[in-house]
Amino acid sequence: MSPAGLAWRYVRRQPARAALGVTGIAVVGALLFDMLLLSRGLVVSFRDILDTAGFDVRVTSTEAQPTLGPPLPQATRVAAAVAALPEVREVVPLRFGKAEVPVTDGSPLGINLYGSGTREGRGWPVIEGTGLTPRADGVLPVVINRRMARRLGIGPGSKVRLTGACASVSSAAPAIELEVLGIVSFPFDRAADLTAMTTLPAYVRICGGEDPEEADVLLVASKTGVSADATVAAIGGAVPGVYAFSNEQLLDRFQKTDFSYFRQISFVLSSITVFFAFLLVTTLLTVSVNQRFGELAVLRALGVRRRRIVASLLFESALLVGTGGLLALPLGGAMALWLDGILRQMPDIPQRLHFFVLDPRAVVMHVALIVLTAMLAAVYPAYLAARLPIAATLRREVVS
Amino acid sequence: MSGPIVEAHGLGKVFPMPAGPVVALDDVSLRIEPAEYVAIAGPSGCGKSTLLHLLGCVETPTSGTLALDGREVAALSDAERSRMRLSRIGFIFQRFFLLPMLTAWENVELPQSELGAAKPERRKRTAELLDYVGLANRADHKPSQLSGGEMQRVAIARALANRPKLLLADEPTGELDDASGEQIADLLDRVNGDGTTLVVVTHNAALAARAHRRLQMRSGKLA
Repeated sequence: MSPAGLAWRYVRRQPARAALGVTGIAVVGALLFDMLLLSRGLVVSFRDILDTAGFDVRVTSTEAQPTLGPPLPQATRVAAAVAALPEVREVVPLRFGKAEVPVTDGSPLGINLYGSGTREGRGWPVIEGTGLTPRADGVLPVVINRRMARRLGIGPGSKVRLTGACASVSSAAPAIELEVLGIVSFPFDRAADLTAMTTLPAYVRICGGEDPEEADVLLVASKTGVSADATVAAIGGAVPGVYAFSNEQLLDRFQKTDFSYFRQISFVLSSITVFFAFLLVTTLLTVSVNQRFGELAVLRALGVRRRRIVASLLFESALLVGTGGLLALPLGGAMALWLDGILRQMPDIPQRLHFFVLDPRAVVMHVALIVLTAMLAAVYPAYLAARLPIAATLRREVVS
Repeated sequence: MSGPIVEAHGLGKVFPMPAGPVVALDDVSLRIEPAEYVAIAGPSGCGKSTLLHLLGCVETPTSGTLALDGREVAALSDAERSRMRLSRIGFIFQRFFLLPMLTAWENVELPQSELGAAKPERRKRTAELLDYVGLANRADHKPSQLSGGEMQRVAIARALANRPKLLLADEPTGELDDASGEQIADLLDRVNGDGTTLVVVTHNAALAARAHRRLQMRSGKLA
């Protein structure tokens, strides 16, 4: 009988203990899996959000994150200089402000208002109608998010009046009428956000006192085949006084600051869960080995080699940990969905941002840690079994 | 003509204990020829089992020399001693020590599998042995489903699995009633009659009386 066969028989011999062990590993493994998902989840999710719009480089006036620093002066000139670079396919200046929408049954609704210099109408996934494109007929276009459409009962073709609530706007700013072209998805919207995006000229009209030459950020799309790093380098060389960074650089910055708490928490909890899994399996196997010292001594007396007994214990450990580790994946997945739902209720979290994201790297890491745990957990019981004094154990078994 | 199966000179075994060393064997010399049937008797604690363990290569002597089937045991590595036990020595224990999660068939097949015997050969040999000990119809039974006498017969079949030259039995009837003990004694006679060298440690005078040679031990020495 092979060591694997022997291990299987030992596991089957005490099904209740095996079931308890596998359940314990599954629960601990599920926690481990969740911590691994958490450690990368924000990064994967944030990258997905950044990539959604199809822009791989952002240009701002300072090193601060977009929306946190001062606006970029002379944005039209900078945008033209960037657009002229051979690496660049498109540049879209963007403004971030606030506006109000009058409603008949109460006080005006506050909304996020974006001004976009897009010419192609692309960049934000369209749910209904069309994307934002400048109109030649003098009509001011706007695209809105689904929540705003539902809240106001409007859709493509509807008119909406917006009053600027930007920092520079006086309280007596006139309401401006815009025509809804479509309903789009804004990647950074929070759950309760009402958001509208219009063209830069319309934005300047709504936020009357704004400098028309300013932008909060320039979104830049590299040409096909050109890396974001190459575009960043080209902008740095051609346009002095601005800060360009790729999505990866932005991610890297977030990883070192905002996301680092989650990474540290997941590292600490991952380490603890791996240690618990190790303790659990080591204890189970050590108790099991202690209970069958007599049988192991008989196997050795019959001539079974040490390494076969060690291999059998390794297989036994692998069976328990492997089964528990596999069960941990769906269990951990379900727990991740639940925990993600809780965490996403935190205020100021973009609706599309997830804390737990199924990432192949997390699965590979989970499997690697489980295999390593199984092997390490078998070391001590295997040592006990391999160093067993045959004659003394047989004597004890006869006397007991 | 082949040499002795066992040749021991001045064997000694001392166990270090907290209260002081305990001499379990003291200057034991012994020669056992092929196909011989030797019984070792003596009071409890006189060193019988220790001598059997030394002969079975599961214990190493503190002093003296031991050669099994012409090979000096002290010169063998742990792996070589395992190989020696597997291929040339059979063990029968007082408490049978069958693996409880394996059937009678699997218990008998285990040492052959460990030695690397091919599956058809293992099947043939296991069937032969279970038939030899009269348990062909209990092949699929686990030890918990067998009587004490049946378990000891399976243990004898297991001990014979790799055709050992030396069969060592430690109180083989110690856990059995008289009738079952008699059956086991008959079976051991048959095994020896078929050419296997047999060394039995026993308190059972009737079993010892069946041996060709009876050795008496007292305080770690052969009397």
